Amino acid sequence: METTSVLGKEKEIYNDYVKEWKKKGGKVLGYACLITPVELIEAAGLLPYRIKALGNPDTELADGEMSLFNCSFCRACLQLGLDGTYDFLDGLIETNGCDHMRAMFENWQHQKKFEFFQYLKVPHFFRDDSLAYYEGELEILKEAMEKHFSTQVTDQSLEEALRGWEEVRAKWRELSALREMNEPKVSGSEAVALEVKGSSMLSEDFLRLLSQFIEEKKTAPGIRPAARLMLCGPATDEVEWFEEIENMGAVVVADALCFGARAFAQAPAGDGSPMHRLAESYLSSIFCPRMYKEYARRRDLILETARRARADGAIYLYNKFCDLHGVDSVLVRRDLEEAGIPVLVLEKEYSAKADIGRVKTRVQAFMERIGGGA
Amino acid sequence: MDKGFVMREGENGFERAIGILEMIYKLPDNLSEEDVEAAKNFVFPELQHTVIGLLDLPADRELELFFFRLLLGILKEAQRAQEEGKKLVFIPFTFPPEIFYAFDNIFPLCTEIVGGLITNICYGQGERFWDFAMGLGLPDSLCSANTIGTMPFFMGPGIKPDAIVYNSAGSCNPNAKIHAFASDYLGIPQFILEKPVDESARGRELHFQYLKRLIAELEEWSGEEMKEEKLREVMETSYRAVELYHEFWELKKAKPCPVPNIFSMTLLVLRSQMWGRDEAVKVMQKMVDMSKERLRKGEYTAPEELARVYITYIYWLFDFSGYFTWMEKEGITILGDILAIHYFPEMDFSSKESMLRGMADITFDYPMTRQMGGESISLRWLDDVACAAQDLGADACIFGGVHACKHTLGTSAFFRREMMKRLGLPTLMLTGDVFDKRHTPMEMFQEEVKTFVDQVVARKKAPRKRKKVQAAEDSA
Repeated sequence: METTSVLGKEKEIYNDYVKEWKKKGGKVLGYACLITPVELIEAAGLLPYRIKALGNPDTELADGEMSLFNCSFCRACLQLGLDGTYDFLDGLIETNGCDHMRAMFENWQHQKKFEFFQYLKVPHFFRDDSLAYYEGELEILKEAMEKHFSTQVTDQSLEEALRGWEEVRAKWRELSALREMNEPKVSGSEAVALEVKGSSMLSEDFLRLLSQFIEEKKTAPGIRPAARLMLCGPATDEVEWFEEIENMGAVVVADALCFGARAFAQAPAGDGSPMHRLAESYLSSIFCPRMYKEYARRRDLILETARRARADGAIYLYNKFCDLHGVDSVLVRRDLEEAGIPVLVLEKEYSAKADIGRVKTRVQAFMERIGGGA
Repeated sequence: MDKGFVMREGENGFERAIGILEMIYKLPDNLSEEDVEAAKNFVFPELQHTVIGLLDLPADRELELFFFRLLLGILKEAQRAQEEGKKLVFIPFTFPPEIFYAFDNIFPLCTEIVGGLITNICYGQGERFWDFAMGLGLPDSLCSANTIGTMPFFMGPGIKPDAIVYNSAGSCNPNAKIHAFASDYLGIPQFILEKPVDESARGRELHFQYLKRLIAELEEWSGEEMKEEKLREVMETSYRAVELYHEFWELKKAKPCPVPNIFSMTLLVLRSQMWGRDEAVKVMQKMVDMSKERLRKGEYTAPEELARVYITYIYWLFDFSGYFTWMEKEGITILGDILAIHYFPEMDFSSKESMLRGMADITFDYPMTRQMGGESISLRWLDDVACAAQDLGADACIFGGVHACKHTLGTSAFFRREMMKRLGLPTLMLTGDVFDKRHTPMEMFQEEVKTFVDQVVARKKAPRKRKKVQAAEDSA
């Protein structure tokens, strides 16, 4: 099943969209984690670019800086930073997502010395005091961007960016509904491929891309799945993994992934200034295991999604040495199994093609367990 | 058969460990060589290194017997806490225990101290608890120190903590995650004191507000208000130990170093479990007095101090004799590790508010929290270790990388390069584990260290010696 035929898979880090933007004199800011509000970057007239590795299997330069006990996705991204692939970036925004990511950013900056390098410090829980701090952090980021790029973030430009991304989220929900149909019209790999592509776009262009894709899919025939799966885990942009799983007859009808549904989980903004609403919508909606005390919220969201999508089973997929997801997977497995949803936990290396055979065998066995074996 | 570590009815691994440790009450104060030999033969072969590590060298023997008896008293208090109507809370080694000693109804138990006890006292060295964690599906890249420390309470029977309080969110993923997991899995409350990765005044102020909120939460949860007088009493006791800590630090500067290597481990345990109590003051005082006496007499275990090394992160703690005693006998002085670097602010004892502000500075700059939770892991870590290594006159550094510590492993290449650039200090890079000997056996560690000292440190020193000799010859 070629799942991404309509729009094509992203193949280049420095893609045509970004090249075009740069040709017009636009500036590009790299970020890596969903706790970075892209609205603010967009409101500053800059292009937010989510760091990705697009399946890059090479890490030899990164391995000189980080150890083999570090996440292979972060090493793959660092590799592309060090080998010059990411030299088109005009700056980086670091976030304290996890220890691996922090080390990746630090090594990157030690070597490349970006003139604009801003650390957005994000608290590990959502509370009135942590929210006030996070809002302050966004103000600091805003001022830093304004100063360095001689730009201005006005209430109006921020309102527009908030609106633009809210429309993207609404459109993503439409897309999710197409995935959750009895005979899904959109596969999991298509959804992830869309997010991989959209995560280096402005909201209006991403919205156009989603709208076009959805329109085409609405009239397309549905897929009769051998098994309806939900995928959970961290940041992975390896569309090939999803294709391999779906080529076995399953359809990934829902997910809780960073390059997937979690990127669109922000709660609708409440009252107050645009900056306050932005801060609240992000900090209150970080469904990541880095929010240590908030496991119950993550579990509830995963359960609700799995039930709504009528998933026959769930796969928790994470990269080796990711302690945050590795530990959460134990609780998720326990709680989903208790709720009658079988779970397969898979630990893998990023972009290790040699792992695919092993993983396929396990997925096949899992599908047999849940009654969807080919 | 799992001989030698049979759980007793109704006890968990922690209780079993302190049950075994009780044998130290039966040892005479002035142990002879024969007594040590007998004690060594009394335990299982794989645990003999604990006995040798603590009792083989005369200075270690005197201090460690004294220290472990006092530690045992505190651990038994932890064991009895719930019977006496107190709440037992788990804390990581990054959390100053004195905060809890300021409550009458809350008693702290450091997770990693439990793990360390089991590893060094119980047959199997905690491997059964690690394996149990793996059986739950937890990843094998976690930290053995707190995983082994928490699992006995999962496996039950026996006492269980009433809550988990941790401050490692932001400075160490595996540490924070296993504590959060313990709370979720055991169904007990968790309290977080976050240290923002923000070293500005704004970050410090936020941390202070977080601390006050944590105290309020603990007060509500325990039904007891933290009283100013009790806090003052604890903080004054704590600061008596702080003065001795500074004196202890100064003593380490002497060449050869009069402070025995094993005292570094003792300091770590004191700070993690006993600080704020009289017992910590007594042990610190004894360590200072003994080191002073050794300095006065010019005592040093080996014929020559070949190398003064700074351990850039943390010690390996599954084989005291293979690590501390072996290095001491080889003439390799351990000056400290990252957990030995404390920044104690000037304390204002005038009010509860002022003491809590001082306490917030202590927690903000607590070892590991300060460096790995710093604005830059690599730079803060490098600055602090470089400063300590230079101050204490180190010749070299050893990075005993622990596979769980993704923050240091992710930045250690930069650290090693910069340490050489800044101070000309070579760093030996190793990977292994704190409590699990299966990663890198102690023999391998010793071989690497010996080669490093012989080939790198000694050579580095040799030209200076030759120059001195040459100068002396020239002037003659």
